[in-house]
Amino acid sequence: MDFSEAADRISRKFQKSGQTIDPKKIEGKLRRLIEEFSVQPSEAERSVTNELAKEFNIPSMGTGSAGSSGTGSSGTEDKKIADAAPGEWVTIEGKIVALAAPASPSIAQGGIIADDSGAIRFVAWAKANAPAMAVGSWYRIESAVVDEFKGIASLKIHSGTTIKEIEEDRALMPTTVPISELHPGIGSLRAKVVQEWDVTHERMLQSGLLGDETGTLKFVIWKEPGKESLIPGSVYNIFYAQVDEYNGRLSLNLNTAMIMQEEGDIEVSGGEAAVSGAIVHVAPGSGIIKRCPVEGCNRALSRQNYCPVHEIQPKFTYDLRIKGWLDNGKKTHSVLLQRDVVESLTGISLDAAKEIAENNPLGMDEVFLQMRDKILGRYFSCHGREIDNRVLVNKCGPVTFESGKHTALLNRAGGAS
Amino acid sequence: MSTPAHDMGRKDASFEREPARRVFASELRECRYQFKDGEDEKSPTFVLLPTGERCNRIFIVGTLTEKQRQGDQNMFYRGRVVDPTGTFFIMAGSYQPEAMQQLAKIETPAFVAVIGKPSVYRKDEASSPMVSVRVESINIVDKDTRDLWVLDTAERTLDRIEAFAVGTAPDVLKAKEQYPTIDPVTFKKIAYDALAQIKI
Repeated sequence: MDFSEAADRISRKFQKSGQTIDPKKIEGKLRRLIEEFSVQPSEAERSVTNELAKEFNIPSMGTGSAGSSGTGSSGTEDKKIADAAPGEWVTIEGKIVALAAPASPSIAQGGIIADDSGAIRFVAWAKANAPAMAVGSWYRIESAVVDEFKGIASLKIHSGTTIKEIEEDRALMPTTVPISELHPGIGSLRAKVVQEWDVTHERMLQSGLLGDETGTLKFVIWKEPGKESLIPGSVYNIFYAQVDEYNGRLSLNLNTAMIMQEEGDIEVSGGEAAVSGAIVHVAPGSGIIKRCPVEGCNRALSRQNYCPVHEIQPKFTYDLRIKGWLDNGKKTHSVLLQRDVVESLTGISLDAAKEIAENNPLGMDEVFLQMRDKILGRYFSCHGREIDNRVLVNKCGPVTFESGKHTALLNRAGGAS
Repeated sequence: MSTPAHDMGRKDASFEREPARRVFASELRECRYQFKDGEDEKSPTFVLLPTGERCNRIFIVGTLTEKQRQGDQNMFYRGRVVDPTGTFFIMAGSYQPEAMQQLAKIETPAFVAVIGKPSVYRKDEASSPMVSVRVESINIVDKDTRDLWVLDTAERTLDRIEAFAVGTAPDVLKAKEQYPTIDPVTFKKIAYDALAQIKI
């Protein structure tokens, strides 16, 4: 059997990405698979292609049967960063705007490269032997591969990539976009710190909520030398932050970002919500709960006093909350009521709830049942901040009968009949 | 680097719970058409209201006037909840243990709020269709809540009648097709009577 044709095909494919592989070596691999292991020739070709791609740190080359490779076919034309789509081989010119500590020994360098069209994460493999790039310098990167990890595009610098430093210093001003238009990847924005949250991890420096005229989103800064917390209430220009997506929600990692505090204020929209309707469901986990006492943790503990991070915590603190659904007949809002709201709505104080939890045979369940009986099926009007369809309620009261509304409805119903 | 493909799943990922529709007993009683939205076994089932809105879940407040335990092996409770316009038939079986226990506990008569799923069924081939509500939760409430519910339900009913008159929504067109003999304007009169029963 002749393997040279298939071997040539594979070799040509790698030539496109700047790799020279001896066709004899490829032929040997193919022969072994097909003759020794009875692998179908098309499958063997695919498998050898992938094996070599892995060896050279090139993202998957596709099926490769009969040379019909979808990827890599676009060659290495010059591209703007914003136009680089996953699966493409590209040549770009950009400025290194951030470097991050490599997450693995197989990575030599990682960070963000930007041009006037946008920015993209990049990874230079250790095997690529690429020259180290410096923050603030411009480079021409030829024959890199754009791939995608968790829906976020990134530029892979492999051994076939050539990197040339560009001497001239070109001006680069990132364009900020409204929060509602951010996409997973890299984003620049001008926003105000509207909330600061308890940090939920010992490596976390700060987390909270950023907002602008179009919406809000969560941000996080991880502890790293030189990182500073943002000041709640202040406005910042944030360039080249990592926009991540988790469970359909976006969040910002500011560790790679350039952050500049700014004068001025932003009217943060979205968020402040007023919803009213009937409570149609009180979810498990409502009532009296135990919280982790570790400084800055505050997580809800399981019944066995187990904190997902700090394990068993016998010296927990008690808290009240209600998670439920408030429904106006058109839309159901998920609501989360904090302790003081729960106390005023149910008439059960934290102390009274503690008393019940510790002395009633049903314990914490009894608090849940008593609270549920007080609010389920009743009408309430709640104010609070809405994040991802959940309203964090800070004010809530029963809806009262308005005779004006009654009269208006009578007129409406009787009007035309 | 805006690749539109990235955020395609984003909106779909957020699950929206079916809202609990507000409907008077006399309108729910008229429902005959029930359908599934999708081919899946788990796809939600909807009952189409004559005023042209689908409901998978309803919220009702009225007086629980009767309840009855039925069955031995598969024990369940039936009850009647009365609003100013008519009667809702509710039931809670062993698949809704919490609702069944709640219902078992409540002494009649009492004002109750019920969140449940309506369905159309026939006792046998010969009998006419009935609408019953499978209870998800039930709780004792007060008269104020009942009055608020009448306002709420009258308002939503009038909204539906107005949307029906415009007559462009797919569910409105479906209702016209399914309930050719029902004129939704009759529900306007019913809403008026329900409102008029509230004494201030």
